[in-house]
Parts: sequence; C-alpha cells; structure tokens
Amino acid sequence: MTVASIHASMIILIAVIVAAPLVAAAAVAVGMSRTSLRTPAAAGLALSLVVSLGITWLWHASDGAAFEYGERLGGGSLIHVDGITSVLLPYVAVVELAIILVAPKRFLDAKATVRSLLSAAATFAVFSTAHPLALVALWIATAVPTWMSTRGTPGGRPAARVFATAMLVAVVCFAVGTALMIVDPPWERNAGIAGNAGGWLVALAVLIRKGIVPFHSWYPSLYSGAPMSTALGATMPQVAAYTAVRLLIGHADHGDGVAMELVVLSQLALLTAVYGAALALVQRDLRGLIGTLAMSQSAMVLAGLAGKEPMELNGALCIWISSGLALTGIGLVAWSIESRAGPLSLATPQGRFRDAPALASFFLLFGLAVIGLPGTLSFVADDLIVSGSLNEQLHAGLMTIASTVLCAIAVLRGWFMVFGGPTAIDGPRHLILQRERVAMTGLLLPLFLLGLYPAPLVRSLERAAGQLLGVPVEEAGNPPPSLQESSSGS
Amino acid sequence: MNGWGIPGITPRIAGAMVQDWGTHDLVALLVVTQLFAPAATLAAIGLPALFGRPFGERKTTRLVGAGFTIGFVAGLAMLVVLAARGYAAEVVHLGTWFSVGHHQATIELVADGLSVPYVCFSTGLCALVNAFAGKYLHREPGFTRFFVLLALFGTGMNLMVLAGSIDVLFAGWEFLGISSALLIGFFHERPNALRAAVRAFTTYRICDVGLLAAGVVIHRAVGSGDFDRLFDGTWPTERCLLPAGTAVVVSLLLVFAALGKSAQVPFSNWLPRAMEGPTPSSAIFYGALSIHAGAYLLLRFESLLDAAPIARVLIVLIGAGTALHAAVVGRVQTDLKSMLAYASMMQAGIIFAEIGLGLRVVPLVHIVSHAVLRSLQILRSPSALHDRHELEAALGGHPGSGAWSLRELLPAGVQRQLYRVALDRGFEEMAIIRGVINPVWTLLERLAGLEKAWTDWLGRSPRSPRTGRDGGLG
Repeated sequence: MTVASIHASMIILIAVIVAAPLVAAAAVAVGMSRTSLRTPAAAGLALSLVVSLGITWLWHASDGAAFEYGERLGGGSLIHVDGITSVLLPYVAVVELAIILVAPKRFLDAKATVRSLLSAAATFAVFSTAHPLALVALWIATAVPTWMSTRGTPGGRPAARVFATAMLVAVVCFAVGTALMIVDPPWERNAGIAGNAGGWLVALAVLIRKGIVPFHSWYPSLYSGAPMSTALGATMPQVAAYTAVRLLIGHADHGDGVAMELVVLSQLALLTAVYGAALALVQRDLRGLIGTLAMSQSAMVLAGLAGKEPMELNGALCIWISSGLALTGIGLVAWSIESRAGPLSLATPQGRFRDAPALASFFLLFGLAVIGLPGTLSFVADDLIVSGSLNEQLHAGLMTIASTVLCAIAVLRGWFMVFGGPTAIDGPRHLILQRERVAMTGLLLPLFLLGLYPAPLVRSLERAAGQLLGVPVEEAGNPPPSLQESSSGS
Repeated sequence: MNGWGIPGITPRIAGAMVQDWGTHDLVALLVVTQLFAPAATLAAIGLPALFGRPFGERKTTRLVGAGFTIGFVAGLAMLVVLAARGYAAEVVHLGTWFSVGHHQATIELVADGLSVPYVCFSTGLCALVNAFAGKYLHREPGFTRFFVLLALFGTGMNLMVLAGSIDVLFAGWEFLGISSALLIGFFHERPNALRAAVRAFTTYRICDVGLLAAGVVIHRAVGSGDFDRLFDGTWPTERCLLPAGTAVVVSLLLVFAALGKSAQVPFSNWLPRAMEGPTPSSAIFYGALSIHAGAYLLLRFESLLDAAPIARVLIVLIGAGTALHAAVVGRVQTDLKSMLAYASMMQAGIIFAEIGLGLRVVPLVHIVSHAVLRSLQILRSPSALHDRHELEAALGGHPGSGAWSLRELLPAGVQRQLYRVALDRGFEEMAIIRGVINPVWTLLERLAGLEKAWTDWLGRSPRSPRTGRDGGLG
C-alpha cells in the first residue's frame, strides 16, 4: 500500500469508528428499532470494533510510524494514531460492546442507550486524537452522559453531585492548563512560569479525573450510585491516563523523557494503588469492592506511566488493558446477578453459587485475571511493572507488590462472600443468557490468549513506549547495563 | 539445549524422527509430554464445563486419570534415560515467553536428579488420588469442579518441579496456591470452609512476595531467571554463580516464600483449617505435595543457601521450632484430620531442618516417604473412623490405650502448662490476630468509614433540610 492510500484509509476508519455509535444513537433516538434497542446499539459498536482492528492492522502495515493528520497544536494533532492507539482502540471497543450486550433489558431504555452510545463515540474520539483543545472538549463530552445517567438513577443523585464536583474542577484545571501550555509550551527551553503552571494544572486535572488520592472519592461513589454500565464506561477506558500519555509523557522538561509533574503524580498514584487495594479488603458490598479495586488498578497504570524505561511503561499499558478487561468482566457479572437477585452484600456469605454457577465461574476467571494468574495478561503486566519499578526505585517496587497482594486477597474474599455460604433462597436458578456468555467470553479470550502468547502485544507496546520516551528499543537478551560494565571490567 | 521454539516443535519432532534421535530430543519430548498431559486434560474438562456442558463423572475421571498416567509413564521413561546417563541435567528450552529490553521471561524446563524423581512421584500420586476421588466424590455437586482444580494443581506442580527458570517456577507456584485455596473452600456452603480458604490464600499471597521479589532480584542481577545462570553443575553438587551478597538476599526471600506453602511457624495456622476441603485434596495437598512445595523450593536453590549461612541457620531454627510446635499442639487435637495436619507440619519442619543442615538427598527421600505415608493416612481417615466406631461397638466401650507416654515423666504443673500451650495452638494464632490482623482491620474499617462520611458530605443536596440540634425538625 502506498503512503497516501494508508493515510486516506486511516482517516476514513477513524471517521467510521466515531460515527458508528453516533449513527446507532440516532437510530435509537428516532425509534427506528422498536423491537430491540440492543440490536442497533450492538451493531454500531460491533462495527467500531471491526474498524478498530482495521486501524491496528493498518498501523502495523505502515511500519509502525505514527500517523498524524489535521491541525497540530501543543505537540498533538487532531488525528493521531500510533502504537498505543492501535492497542487501546480495540480494547475500548471490546469494553463498550460487552457492556451493551450484558445490559439488563429493563436498563436499556432509549435514553440510557443513547447516552451510552454518545459516551462511547466520545471515548473513541479521545483515543484518536492528541490535540489538547479537542481533548478538553472530549473530556466534557464523556463526562456529561455519565453525570446525566447517574443523576437519573434512583438514589444516584449524591453520587452524581460528587462526580459533577470532581469533573467540573478537573475540566476547569485542564482547560486553563492547556491554554497556558499552548501560550507558553513548558517543554521548550525558555519556558516561563505560565507554561510550567499550565503543566501542573493539567497534571492536577489528570489526578482528579483518575481518582488519585486525595481526589479519589468520586471513584467508589460512582460505582455505588451509578448504573454499572455508566461506572464502567466512565472509568475503564481511562481517558485521563491517555491524556497524560499525550500531554505529559515525552515532553521532556528535565532531560529524561518524563515530565516532572508526572513523576509527582506517580508517587501519589502508588499510594492510591496500595490504599485502594487495602480499602477493597473491608468493603461491605460488591459495588464498593469493584470501585476500590478499579481505583487501585487505575492508579497502578498512572504509576507505571511515569516510568523512565520502556519496560515500566510497557507494564503500565499491559495493566491498562488487562485490569480493564478483567474488571469490566467482574462488573458485568455483578450487574447480571444484581439484576436477578438485587444488591450483593459482602458482610455475610450470599450463597449464590447454586443460583448462578456459570456466572460464578466467569467471576472467578475474571478475578484470577485481575490478580495475576499465570497464563493471563495481568501476570505479564505485573511482571513487567514490578521489575520495571524495582529497577527504578525500591519503594515503588515494594508498593506495587503490596498492591497486587492486597488486590488478590480482596478479589478472592469477594468471590467467596458472593458465591459461598448456605443457599438462602430456594428460587429458580439464574441461568446465564447467551448474550451474556458471548460478551464475557469475548472479554476473557484476549485476557488468556494475550497471557499465553504475549510477545506480539509486548513488542508492539515496547515500540510505542520507546517512541514516546524517545528511547531506542534494546536488543532482547542482552544483560543489564550494570552487568555489561562489570563483565567488561573483569 | 536444542532450542525448541513453540511454533517449531512439530517440525523439529518430525525432523528428529527421520533423522538421528539424540538423548536430548527424547528427554525434551518426555518433559513436554509430562507437562502438557495434565494441562491438556485441564482444558479438555474445564472448557466444556465453562460453557455449561460438563462431561459425566466417568469421562471426567478417565480423562484426568489419563493425563496423570501419561505424565507418570513419561516421567518413568525420563528417569530411566537420565539414570542411564548418571543424572546429568538436561535443559529444555521452549522459547521466550516475552521480552522487553534486557528483561526476558523464558520458558525453560530442566530434567535432573531432583526434578525427575519428584515429578514421577507427584504425577503418580495425583493419578492414584484421581482414582480414589472418582469414587469418593460420586454424585457430589462439585464433582467436575474438583477435577478441574486437581488438573490445575497437577499442571502447576509439574510446572514448578520441572521449571528451569524462576519465572516458570513462579507460575507453577501460583497455580498451586490458587488451586489449594479453591479446594479448601470446595464445600462453599460451609462458612468455616470459606474462612479457612481465605486464611490460607492470604498466607500464601503474603509469602509469595518473597518469591516474586527473589525473581526480580535475580533478573536484576543476571538479566534472566534461567537456572543455568544461577548454578553451575548438576544437582546435588551444583555451585552458586551469584555474588555472595545477592545470594544472601535471594536466599532469605526464598526462605520467606517457602514458609507459607509449607506451613512453618509463624505461618502455620492455616494448615489444620485447610482440612475443611474434601479428603482426597487434603491428602494430596497437605499430606503429600503442596506442604512440601517450600522444601522443594529450598532444595532447588540449595547451592544459593551454601553461599548464605544465615539463611541456613534460619531454616534450621524455623524447622525445629515448627516441629516442636506441631508435636505439642498435635497431641491435643480431637479430630483425626487436624491430628494428621499437625503430624504433616511436624515432618515438614524436620525436613526444613535437614535442608538447613546442608543435607540434600536425605530430605528428598524424607519428602517422598512422608508424602506417601501421610496421604495414605488421610485417604484412610474416614474409613478408619468408621472401623474405630465398629470396634467400640463390638467391645462395648473405649478400647483404651496401654502405651507408655513421655508425658508421664513430667511433673503435673508442667503437664498443665503444656496442655494450655497446646490447646491455644502455641499462642501463635492469637498473637497474629491480636497483634497484626485486628489492628490493621480496625484501621482499614475506620478509614472506610471516614471515606463514606466524606463522600456523603460531598454528595449532600444543598437544598435538603438541615438536621441536628439547630435545624432539625425533632
């Protein structure tokens, strides 16, 4: 393929991936499909998934060079596709499609479906751009449907207020910070106070939007008050982490490839990873458990993103995908059971195994994929991030290990509390529906396939991480620098 | 090393068949068979069960049994080949799992004087327990689940034993931990089983930190987790290649990792409670294989311990302390499985002490003989109780015991104190609960409460009526 044809195809594909959910939303809004709202929604998102895979293939076909198109501002283009985009777009599409497939029938009214599709379209747009102003607009576009959906849920108004407060502050910080960074780019040698202040404001916005301590309260609150689809759709793509990748990483302000703001954030993120995992241990309901686990895992991604070497960044990107798929799976299993049996407490064993054996199996497999079972992608991710962070800073490695240990205990405790215990209700068995099985299998497959054969993904992410940090990819198998020095010395 | 890359296995085997078959190729084929036979049965029975179409009892038992039997036969063949060659180690390289920069996770297996006898005995035992469990768990609701977890355990065990790198060993180690916890909680309707499962898993995960950190230190030191970069020579006469300081750090981390799986003091209190699981799994996990995983780990890294005398001293002290603790506490247990659990713990403690003293073949022989005896005892325990009841019914009372006990030499006061210590399980559990678990749990619950209060305050409605002394309605 010629360069021109690749460029033209890429622009069309990016347009289609964003337009597909919008068209589906329009079809639902005008009532084109009266029998089932799920069909047009799922069709739109399935098309987005296929197109995202096409983008991945095209990016690989074009020798892995970053594709940029449109106005360039503040270091980013309107359309920007690189190794990270090529991995994250299919990931987001799988998550959004799974959510729509599993959504209980009574949740899928026209308004909720339209909001989900609009949010999905905005998220696809986020992951296709590196333009700072576009990102500001898209932050708003992704937050508004989440707020409306939470607000419209019975008992969800407090959570909606917490979410709105956090997002309002985050968006204001992001907008002002971006404006300052555009006026006075902090990565240029003679940057002034305005540019540096802009960088710190963007970092603060990322911190709030990612739910990092001390601005984390909206995260578990959203899981408790919002519909599960809204909470998952708002948190699993990790829009703020993507923003950090585009605006903070690679804009070297002190010569080592990582902005100082991100280094500070990473320390807070490490604290959040441990704190979230510790809080997950004492949660008294399943939604609280999922919320705190999501908070911990999302913080781990940010902690890794600040890494100075590709290995750590690679681990962070792997965790992004693995924990996102696995936690989406757990959330969807929880939603499926809740829709049949009501809210699930963790204070006493709920005895749901007899009721829902297939859902119990899926919950367990997703749980094992969160805690780093060998053969799953999270095992690879944990290995990379622990090794990378221990190489860099001892305390970072130890905190990462502590977080993984606590998460594992919390997940297994949660599984035993939900599914273990005497079967309380002698009711009908909650058999898994076919669409639920398809969605959950679709989430499980990449977790296990990429866990068993991670080399292509890791290689692709390594190249992308190297491009971001401006570090050449090392030859595999070479001993570490310290050893090379010692052997040459001897 | 013949460089068997995963994608190239079939052509290599085919090529080898028509060309000259070397011993290494044969050993590699046997090692791969050994590893993949139980793994294939795991997939064969697990996937249909996940999709709602589990096999019948007989088919399930036969499939899992076939996997273990094939593994066992391959192990025996490997033993014969290796014995003929004087137990020289054969390293089988299955490829690189993934690599980033200088960090490589290789899939490397090793067949040597430690791994091959151990894997023969472990797969043989798994095959026997599989046959026993097929009858014992007949019509049990979780029949398929048990065999899926048994196959997972067998796969993990083979992976751990045959591991030629610390990455592979860690993978197997994790499979052991998760299958063990899920089997302890097998009877999920019993709250005690759930508590015991969470307790065991918590202990495992805490101690796994040691193995994880050891792996990272090794990678950092030599750029790879392969054992051939850590040791030189053939087990049991290997020589450590790591610098002394690194060897000490890695040894201490490995000792910490071994304590949890082998239920050594102060991480021993999960073991008696683990007997909540089905009898066949108790036999194979806590009588035979899982309880000795820590000892195997230390035997595998014996040459590192040579460079770390402090680790050796620690192992002897912990092992002897555990043996003494288990001997005293086990005396007052009122149920057979708890008694057997403490007996296992005592023997594991002695094996640790033997390893700490620098013995290599003796602990291996001790492990095998203890495992065979103890698993037989545990498997026999339900029917032994039945026989005992029949005996009592025939005699019309307690048969009594005329055996002399060392206890009779002790003064009454000392006996009383010993009983107290034994009944309180050596105060080990109480100390951990009061000193660690309760304070941490209370702190976390308070933090969660503060979080809730803060979120409620943030989410309050600005128009909601104020409550309290000055604004409330009441």
